[in-house]
Amino acid sequence: MCKSFSLLVAALERNFSREPSARCWMILRREKPTTGFIFSSDFVIFSTAKSFIEACMFLQTSVDVLVVAMPLFYGVVVFLYALSFFRESALAARLKPVLLRITVFLHLLYILARTAAFDHPPITTVYEIMTILAACIAVGYLYIEMRTRARNTGFFILLLAFIFQLASSMFIKDLIEIEPVLRSRLLGFHVSATLLGYTGISLSAAYGFLYLMLYHEIKSSRFGVIYKRLPNLEMLEQMSTNSEMFGFLTLSVGIAIGFFWLPLAFDNVSYWDPKLIGTLFIWVLYLIGIVAKRRFGWQGRKMMIVSLVGFGFVFLSMTLINFGLSGFHKFH
Amino acid sequence: MSELLSIGISHHTASVDIREKMWLNIDETKEAVSHLLKKRFQECVVISTCNRTELYGTASALPDPSDVQRFLIDFKKATGSVRDEHFTNAIGTNAVSHLFRVAAGIESQVIGDIQILNQVKESFQISRELDALGPLLNHLMQSALHVGKRVRTETQICEGAVSISYAAVELANKIFADLSKKAVLLIGAGETGELTLKHLIGRGIGSVKVANRTREKADELVTRMSGSVVDYKDLQEALRSVDIVISSVTSPSYIVQPQHVQSVMKQRSHNPLFIIDIGVPRNVDPRCKKIDNVFLYDIDSLHTIVERNVDHRRDELPKVKDIIEEEVNAFIKWQNSLSVGPTIHDLRNVFESIRAEEVEKNINRFSPDDRQLIDIVTKRIINKILHQPTTALKDGAEDQGRNKETLQRINALRELFGIAGHKLNGNEKR
Repeated sequence: MCKSFSLLVAALERNFSREPSARCWMILRREKPTTGFIFSSDFVIFSTAKSFIEACMFLQTSVDVLVVAMPLFYGVVVFLYALSFFRESALAARLKPVLLRITVFLHLLYILARTAAFDHPPITTVYEIMTILAACIAVGYLYIEMRTRARNTGFFILLLAFIFQLASSMFIKDLIEIEPVLRSRLLGFHVSATLLGYTGISLSAAYGFLYLMLYHEIKSSRFGVIYKRLPNLEMLEQMSTNSEMFGFLTLSVGIAIGFFWLPLAFDNVSYWDPKLIGTLFIWVLYLIGIVAKRRFGWQGRKMMIVSLVGFGFVFLSMTLINFGLSGFHKFH
Repeated sequence: MSELLSIGISHHTASVDIREKMWLNIDETKEAVSHLLKKRFQECVVISTCNRTELYGTASALPDPSDVQRFLIDFKKATGSVRDEHFTNAIGTNAVSHLFRVAAGIESQVIGDIQILNQVKESFQISRELDALGPLLNHLMQSALHVGKRVRTETQICEGAVSISYAAVELANKIFADLSKKAVLLIGAGETGELTLKHLIGRGIGSVKVANRTREKADELVTRMSGSVVDYKDLQEALRSVDIVISSVTSPSYIVQPQHVQSVMKQRSHNPLFIIDIGVPRNVDPRCKKIDNVFLYDIDSLHTIVERNVDHRRDELPKVKDIIEEEVNAFIKWQNSLSVGPTIHDLRNVFESIRAEEVEKNINRFSPDDRQLIDIVTKRIINKILHQPTTALKDGAEDQGRNKETLQRINALRELFGIAGHKLNGNEKR
């Protein structure tokens, strides 16, 4: 019932005026196409439909506001982290954790609102996925900040979240009708696991980058703001390695679910999909890195470079393959 | 009105052997304060560290500084070696600003030294226990501690290591997350090497190994620092299991070679190795710096760090001086607020007593009808004379920019009208 209602609303959304009662009337007409009479039970349907549509309108408005507000919030958060990192502003240092928590909370609300308003989790297009990725990075960073109490790396990590959210907000479309194949619950697990994997990889790369910067400053005895404000090398390496392991494991789960789901979803399955191959390639690259770490004791600089190269491929996969090449991962 | 005097001997004016002779331990400090309270001061604080011995005292009529100096010299039985020119004195505002500079760490031998604030606190405590503090010194010492705190939080004057050994420890903290899980190897037994090791132990380093050509020396060091001795010949072997190496031996050639470090790194699965080479000539081949995860620092690069940190601290001086000026002004304002009121009161009393005396003396020359009138007229004259100075004093006390001027005026007034020795309610000892 609910789904048919929402589809109905979606259809009405495109064709009719945005005035709620007019739309309710249209729903009534659709639900009762054969009779010209209106019964008392119709009023129940009418009022249900009315409040439903009003809720939809409210959700739509919230989404409209948040889609603009999210990059702004991230922008301010990144600005505060930059101020406290480069200018050592005490006020920014006090405000930044508070604003980060507010931003993360609003972002989760935004994702929920999107899911409710368009009747599917935002995982069907690359821009929908980008906002989830931004949220994952922000949540992941918040978790690391709370665990390690190291608050000085935020600028570099949250900058990634800001960029992803900005791109998402600029190009995201309000899609109500999506391919039925994308409504699968398994797909939800597949996408969220893969996204968590990418989040881990992004965080690992960001910390790897910070590690290399600090490593370089210490090695060359040029002690600038990086040396002064960043936590120590060992901690940065640990943050990077932990995020990498987390990313690798969840990516593995995501890929496994994908392989399981693929034959269920499509009739004639071809595994020659660029994104699939790209992701597998990344997975193998990280596998090699992790094995090399265990087997040959790769540490420090080398591992951080591996993590950065891996992220480079992830970025290529996210951009080139999504925009350039076609395959079954292209749904719209 | 109470005046403030400071007398001191410091690294600016006296060499270490002189300062040593004037150093007072806690018991001596207590004794000296008690002695000084008996005769010379109403309030007294003595601060004594290895770099300075200073005395702050207040009295309504200050004793001759050289008399106090002689007392201190006699007290420490240092006659002959310590002379008057080793001392510096300051009175009033200058003494206040001197104490604030000391508390801010900019009078320290190493600029921004944090130790001094603890000493100031300790001396404050001692005098308080001896009941040697009145409102003036109490407020002064509290303001000094406040200055120290402000300087530490609002400026970066104490940041960055300013000695070779601390610079090495700071670097170790930027490389390793948890020093308690790390091991250090000290090669040789130089003074700086030992000091660095001490600092590392202070930061909770996990374990200590010592290697020395003469084994007895290593044994002796290990018993003092609690660690283990490594045979000098097994150095290569030891490098595998430690994370920090401090090397300070005198050797004509490098005792650690790059090919050797390379093979060690493989064996220790490329765990970071931090090498502090403070030997002159250098003990470790500088080419080792190029090896991944090896952090090699020689004495020159450590010196560079120290110099940069000292420069950085110097850059903070203007900020510190601003804070000191602000606090000195606040202190003088507080002092003025206490002394302006009583001074006006005293001044009026002086005039009133003269008037009353004269009226009393001559009252019989007037007819009974005029007697009341003469009382009123003379009072009016005095009021009119005093009106201008009174308002000028009050206005001056409210204007922070004219603090010093106000203080001078008060002193001049008290001296000119002979009220210098008059007791002040606010500034007297309890």
